[in-house]
Amino acid sequence: MPEPTRKRVTDIGPPHYEQFLPPAIKENYGKWLYHEFVKPGVLMHVSESGAKLFTVRAGGSRLMSIQKIRMICDLADKYCGGYLRFTSRHNIEFMFTDPTQIDPLIADLAKIGHPVGGTGRSITSIVHTQGWVHCHSAATDASGIVKSVMDGVIEHFTHSDLPAKCRIALACCLNMCGAVHCSDIAILGIHRRPPKIDHANLKKTCEIPNVSASCPTAAIRPGTVDGMPSVVVEEDRCMFCANCYTVCPSMKLNDPLNDGVSIWVGGKVSNARHEPMFSKLAIPYLPNNPPRWPEVTDAIINIINVWKGHARKNERLGEWIERIGWPRFFQMTGIQFEKLHIDDFKHAGLTFKRSAHLMF
Amino acid sequence: MAQMITAQEAAEAMFNMVKEAAGLRKLKPMDLTKNLLELFGDRVDKQICKEAIRELVESGRCVYTYFGGTYLELPHREGAAND
Amino acid sequence: MADKLPPTPKLDELEKGPWPSFVSEIKMAAKSSLASQDLLGLLERSYNEKIGHWKHGGIVGVLGYGGGVIGRYCDLPAEFPNVSHFHTVRVNQPAGWYYKTDALRKICDIWEKRGSGLTNMHGSTGDIILLGTRTDELEPIFAELTAIGFDLGGSGSDVRTPSCCLGKSRCEWACYDTMALTHDLTQSFQDELHRPAFPYKFKFKMSGCPNDCVASVARADISIIGTWRDNIRVNQDAVLEYTKNGLNIQKEVIAFCPGKCMEWDGKQLDIDNSTCRRCMHCINVMPKALRPGKDTGATVLIGSKAPIIEGALLSSVLIPFWKPVAPYTDLKDLMGRIWEIWCEEGKNRERIGEFIQRMGMGNFLETIGVEPIPEMVAHPRENPYVFYEEYLVEDDEEEGQDKN
Repeated sequence: MPEPTRKRVTDIGPPHYEQFLPPAIKENYGKWLYHEFVKPGVLMHVSESGAKLFTVRAGGSRLMSIQKIRMICDLADKYCGGYLRFTSRHNIEFMFTDPTQIDPLIADLAKIGHPVGGTGRSITSIVHTQGWVHCHSAATDASGIVKSVMDGVIEHFTHSDLPAKCRIALACCLNMCGAVHCSDIAILGIHRRPPKIDHANLKKTCEIPNVSASCPTAAIRPGTVDGMPSVVVEEDRCMFCANCYTVCPSMKLNDPLNDGVSIWVGGKVSNARHEPMFSKLAIPYLPNNPPRWPEVTDAIINIINVWKGHARKNERLGEWIERIGWPRFFQMTGIQFEKLHIDDFKHAGLTFKRSAHLMF
Repeated sequence: MAQMITAQEAAEAMFNMVKEAAGLRKLKPMDLTKNLLELFGDRVDKQICKEAIRELVESGRCVYTYFGGTYLELPHREGAAND
Repeated sequence: MADKLPPTPKLDELEKGPWPSFVSEIKMAAKSSLASQDLLGLLERSYNEKIGHWKHGGIVGVLGYGGGVIGRYCDLPAEFPNVSHFHTVRVNQPAGWYYKTDALRKICDIWEKRGSGLTNMHGSTGDIILLGTRTDELEPIFAELTAIGFDLGGSGSDVRTPSCCLGKSRCEWACYDTMALTHDLTQSFQDELHRPAFPYKFKFKMSGCPNDCVASVARADISIIGTWRDNIRVNQDAVLEYTKNGLNIQKEVIAFCPGKCMEWDGKQLDIDNSTCRRCMHCINVMPKALRPGKDTGATVLIGSKAPIIEGALLSSVLIPFWKPVAPYTDLKDLMGRIWEIWCEEGKNRERIGEFIQRMGMGNFLETIGVEPIPEMVAHPRENPYVFYEEYLVEDDEEEGQDKN
């Protein structure tokens, strides 16, 4: 049991944000009039007072060392009076009022390996989960795929050269800590084999009633296996959530032979133009091929290139697919349509084509 | 008007429930509250239950655990733990 | 310690290429952290074997809190003793993710002394993530964090750390003060955030406009999305200026308008605001010419979540237009009523969206005292299995009789 080491302070909540706002932001809070893209990765916000604020957005890896944070702090001290912020997608933003500082800052960022971009019609940093770095239920690594994909599409980060913005996200299993299900392109780690049970140790490490109760689909029941009290899994009810493994380390779900990655496309959360949409299955399975997952990277680059080559300006991936139709999406990308693409869970019928509106 | 039980008494009752369920069933804080409301009727309310849970956890007699949902359990060594 | 880095030929491949490398980050941290050294070795092993090596620890935490720490143990503790324990600490971020460098440096100092030196800035929910420490460091870390004014975030069946877009601090489109609301809710719900008492997690996300930069509609139990009720503000000269600079208004703006509420005659942009859907597209394309109206507020939506357990949901409208005014008592009272019924009748691991589907939105609204209105549905029901609740009987035709 942890012991308190001194008078404990609790429930203070986060520090108030106001103390961390740069003076130019504090002065113009709620008074912003419009913004412009100065160049990729650089924004200019103009206030009703005429004040101008420049923001330089640098791409970052989500997994960051304190050494790097200190280097970033050094740059914020040098250029921004000691203020900085992060975006919801792991980018780092430097804000200041003197435009002559833009290029020197970008040069200094390049020295520590951070590109500038991710604004406007671009791909910005990929939001992702922990993967093999930290997660017990990961079906794939997160950081490695993200790094490989970003290396492959970085020109679309540093140049706003796409029809619209493209949001990529990765979750390393279907629990989706990253809630990737409404992304232009979602990379989803998948298990495909029910848990392998360590019957010899299960009783020793876990409480059988609790293992049984952990299953959301009630696929696990107590049972005797080889004379040992253990559990039995009804395999065709398993949807690979790993909750049993969360409760009991003798229910290992991770499996190198079967784990891999699926690709989902066409989701969005913004209300702009089309209402928010879920991502839909494009590729049911790609193998885990570390360190650089070439199959995943190639598949994503292909989808982006086909979209970029054919979409109208402003059309996000899902909006473009909606206009041209899914048959043409599969045809143009060369992705094979198969049985697994057709939903067979609740309300699956709503996803069938229920009209004669077809394009030939 | 019934005499309300104290948070201490509520905590004691909850502790016994957690102890009896150990190894058989994990109880959520809300399960304990519901059980107490059933057991003591109008002699207990949700605020007393809340204080009782806080008392149990801050005294170290029970711990919050997370296994796909939050439970209250006796402190114990879990299956996944390493030294 | 640097010379003791394990050989990592596979991971080294991920130091190549232009995007910032997480492997280089772990190597930097490994210069002063044995845990990060072992993490490199363990991760290389995962890359060779194509499998993760972690076990979930469900008991570790700080005294009194049920959230804020995620337990992890390595399944190869003999070979990688320094990551035998590798717990994560979630630290509640300041609203909007703004920092002064001195505050960040203090967090780094704590984490250098008591953890792996690895972080996520930030995790998916919004917290600062301190990645990898031992059980016996948790209480000292907590004490040192609170001493510099930080507290732990949520995890487990509780209010998860609320988060928001930067709102009025740097965005002309913010229709309400997202950061003020986020900070206020976070402070008001400290008990709900630290002492899990719900059937499952509960997330708040605040977006200042319908562009929804924090994806609230997809992943928050309560999504608060800024909007306006009056007319889009138009600067016709600025519109003309955009066209002079090459913008094709017909093709790039009007063709995409979901409300088909705009006309352009080459000189004047006409908007029929009565059928404008507040989608933001025209404003996004012409930020110097168009602005949201002045009667601003927010749409409150409820119920989105990722797939576990019953399938993914998007949030749906609960309050079409809400004026956020501190101290937001109306919203907090509503939350109280929602949590009351959810705690009473929700099943273990049932998010509010799933709970609403199970009990029926109509019944849910009745319980929390909110009137059903057409804004809440895409269209009225199509299926005729209507569960009428009352009927007339022959000798009592004046009054309805409750079926129950």
